[in-house]
Amino acid sequence: MTIIKPLIIANRHRLVREGRPRIPEAARIKTLPSLRRHLQTAIELEHSTIPPYLCALYSIEEGDNLPSSEIIQSVVVEEMLHMILASNVLNAIGGQPSINHPRFIPEYPTFLPHSDKSFEVGLQKFSKPTIDTFLRIELPAKPKAPPEANRYHTIGQFYEAIEDGLIRLSEEKNIFTGDRARQITTEYYYGGGGGVIPVHDLDSALKALSEIVGQGEGVYHTIFDGDHKLFGEKIEYAHYFRFNEIHEERYYTKRDTPKSGPTGKRLPVNWDGVYDMRPNPKMKDYPKGTELRKKIYDFNRIYVSLLDDLHRAFNGEPKQLLNAVVRMYDVKYQAIELMKIPVNEEGMTAGPSFEYVPPKG
Amino acid sequence: MAEKIYDAVIVGAGVAGAIVAKTLTQAGYRVLLLEAGLQAGLAFAEAKAYENYQSYMDTFYNALAKVPNAPYPNLQDAPSPNVLDLSPIQGTTPDTTGYFVQKGPLPFGSDYARTPGGTTLHWLGTCLRMLPNDFRLKTVYGQGVDWPISYEELKPYYEMAEREIGVSADVEDQIYPNTGKDFFGKGYVYPMRKIPQSYLDQKFIKGVRGMKVGVKGDEYELYVISTPQGRNSIPNDRYNLVGPVWDKATQRLVMKHSDDAHYNPVGAIWDPYTGQRCEGNANCVPICPVQAKYNALKTLKNARRDRLDIVTQAVASKVEIDPTTGRVTAITYKKYQDPDSPEYTTETARGTIFVLAAHSVENAKILLASGVANSSNQVGRNLMDHMVFLTWGLMPERVYPYRGPGSTSNIPVFRDGEFRERHAAFIMPIDNWGFGWPANAPYSDLSAAVNRMNLFGKQLRRHLNDTVARQLLLHFECEQLPQPENRVMLDPRYMDQLGNFRPVIQYNVSDYTRAAMAAAKNISDQIFARVGIEDYSEYNPTDADYLIYDGVGYTFWGAGHLVGTHRMGFARSDSVVSREQRTWDHENLFLVGCGNMPTIGTSNPTLTMAALSFWAAENIIRELQ
Repeated sequence: MTIIKPLIIANRHRLVREGRPRIPEAARIKTLPSLRRHLQTAIELEHSTIPPYLCALYSIEEGDNLPSSEIIQSVVVEEMLHMILASNVLNAIGGQPSINHPRFIPEYPTFLPHSDKSFEVGLQKFSKPTIDTFLRIELPAKPKAPPEANRYHTIGQFYEAIEDGLIRLSEEKNIFTGDRARQITTEYYYGGGGGVIPVHDLDSALKALSEIVGQGEGVYHTIFDGDHKLFGEKIEYAHYFRFNEIHEERYYTKRDTPKSGPTGKRLPVNWDGVYDMRPNPKMKDYPKGTELRKKIYDFNRIYVSLLDDLHRAFNGEPKQLLNAVVRMYDVKYQAIELMKIPVNEEGMTAGPSFEYVPPKG
Repeated sequence: MAEKIYDAVIVGAGVAGAIVAKTLTQAGYRVLLLEAGLQAGLAFAEAKAYENYQSYMDTFYNALAKVPNAPYPNLQDAPSPNVLDLSPIQGTTPDTTGYFVQKGPLPFGSDYARTPGGTTLHWLGTCLRMLPNDFRLKTVYGQGVDWPISYEELKPYYEMAEREIGVSADVEDQIYPNTGKDFFGKGYVYPMRKIPQSYLDQKFIKGVRGMKVGVKGDEYELYVISTPQGRNSIPNDRYNLVGPVWDKATQRLVMKHSDDAHYNPVGAIWDPYTGQRCEGNANCVPICPVQAKYNALKTLKNARRDRLDIVTQAVASKVEIDPTTGRVTAITYKKYQDPDSPEYTTETARGTIFVLAAHSVENAKILLASGVANSSNQVGRNLMDHMVFLTWGLMPERVYPYRGPGSTSNIPVFRDGEFRERHAAFIMPIDNWGFGWPANAPYSDLSAAVNRMNLFGKQLRRHLNDTVARQLLLHFECEQLPQPENRVMLDPRYMDQLGNFRPVIQYNVSDYTRAAMAAAKNISDQIFARVGIEDYSEYNPTDADYLIYDGVGYTFWGAGHLVGTHRMGFARSDSVVSREQRTWDHENLFLVGCGNMPTIGTSNPTLTMAALSFWAAENIIRELQ
């Protein structure tokens, strides 16, 4: 029986599982290098959801779909928080996050890194099918699904395997030997729920992981038949439920349960107030030398410089996060510009392709 | 609703009224707030609040002149002054172009916004405390008047105001003339760290480093400090204050120290996660797109809403007095449905305590119209502002103005000193606005380049890049002393369409302040020579506020710091309110706002007004107990 306890972070609370994960022997993470690899994957996994979320967000015409924009935006900001938290854990155990290598950005459409390949994630405009995909990304673990280190069905299972690895390996010896100066501290994060947790021991590492999973999927194991108070003013809804509000075009109320679905007031969604971005844009869709190709290239350069900033921030220069914020605005403006450029007879538009392009040498 | 009797009736949903409303409701009292502006401006539900604020943004984008009131509705039923209405006054004929009836001899150049949130919607956000000597100007320098409150007494209330507004600054940067180490309380830090100083500031600082300027035989070493601002930044993890809360034992409002306290920047009223940091938008005057800049709606949103009734589109017109007791019995207000229509209904608000928080000019207007609180004959008098004297020129290299908040640094050297015996003190903000204020740049640069220089294409771009990017604006805010003849008056010939009085303003600038402009120009000349700035400053007799001192012409602009119209004092014979902020004449009538300030000093007055509003709220709670 899983015990649920409240986790209080920055005056808000959510519910998380208590107690130790139970992982089958075969699925366990047994060495420190393997644990570090999994945390690097965690960073890549958290990042891999950001370009799809950003495409949906920036495809919304300015000023339209305010509630949906706010929901997606807050989720994006929190995915960035998850990247920071996973990097903090990796740095704490002496690892070195790698953010700006050529394979860091997946090629969309893609299966989520290390997943069981049950569904693909693409770069798509804001639409109902897109929100369907987002729901699958943020899907809570099914009851009794065992954690798996390699082919996991949900993100929660993957993190449980990491949690188990952290606990087991730190029982053998102190694995928290990382330089504390490499930790990202609380003052750098804003714009979304939760908060940064600097990691220097097992306790803070586990807190950081619960923050990731709690925000992402809510209470796992008992989620669909749970009768816990998951909603209400001071509770941060997990991403799954926030997307579900868009999907159902209705807000949750305090009385709602995961089973009841949202029964509150209408959340107005205008599925047409959206730029009709052609799915999964690529630079190669447009001949070299054309203005559009250059525009997409320029976008990708900015996005990759953003990853450079993050790389430096996660590798001993936390202040670089301030630059990254400025860069995020460039990413936004350039992406929106692309969304406004028609590319075919049907009036579909260009869009950001999120491809790795090396610095001009 | 009108027949309900409230613990307090407050007129005006600007920063002063909002602070009193929030403090009283949180202490458990029932409050009615009357606001002259539109209902839409008080929407707090996410979508409605966003929609209304976006409508301000759209109005601003479409406005040809981006003046402070450009984004906000100007209502015929509750008009606001506008700096666009200013022109030189011809002879003795009053200028009646705008809301103000300007009798002169100089037109009064400042405005304010009659809308929910008040003038904090378009304020700059500078949050400097006044200096200890500002509170005892008469005693120390023989000028103006002393305050009945000392800096030391007001200090804890400044801390409350700095938390409420959310001020970003580093205490260690804040070095002012003639102040000791105890200016800030021991261990005090601002809620958030300083807003980064602009690139332009850094270039300017390099240019004046170690520089000494001579003024009338005295020498002063210049130094530049970052400016405390009411806009969000990185929270300071050493900040450990919470509150204020009402402390029954001492009968005071107090801030509590707590090791768990940590300051959460207050975001936009439509989304707590928007605007948690200043994003460097250069148009935050007149409107911050993300509400990273404080406005009074944030305070109102955090009032206890179950104890607060708000009636909007309600213009207070008369304070009703019981002739036998002298107590206020009610506020009469005119409730309109359509701001352009002269139709209204007359309503009455009743309560135990009454608080006018309608703005210094509007408070004076209501008091004069009602014939109350004026046994001293000081209501409407002593109107003060900062005379903004500007100098502008091109820096030797590109410094990239038009980025970040309006001003992020200042030179505090002339905020206090013995020279105050002879001429006014002034603060010297360094502006990030290029020639925008005095010359409507960069639009004027573009039209001059196209129309007069016939530039186009690459040449045009190069020219603009070279000139606009080098623009530097220096700014001297000169203190004005209280003078009874600078005043707000009423004249039944000048009414608005609801039948309320329009303010008739008589205004001039004394030699004490004119001499400060001369000193400022002298200092500016020395700085320009040292840094190699090419001077473009120009003052013309056709400017609205052009004046002559010692044979030389100067132009000044209004700062929007309207102070002194119902000042506090030691005695009922020469002041309108006591140090409690209570009118001497009516024991249940309190006034709040800049009108209570006996002198203006060199600080933008909002922070001090906010501190005094907490001070007033404390006295009101004591009275209600």
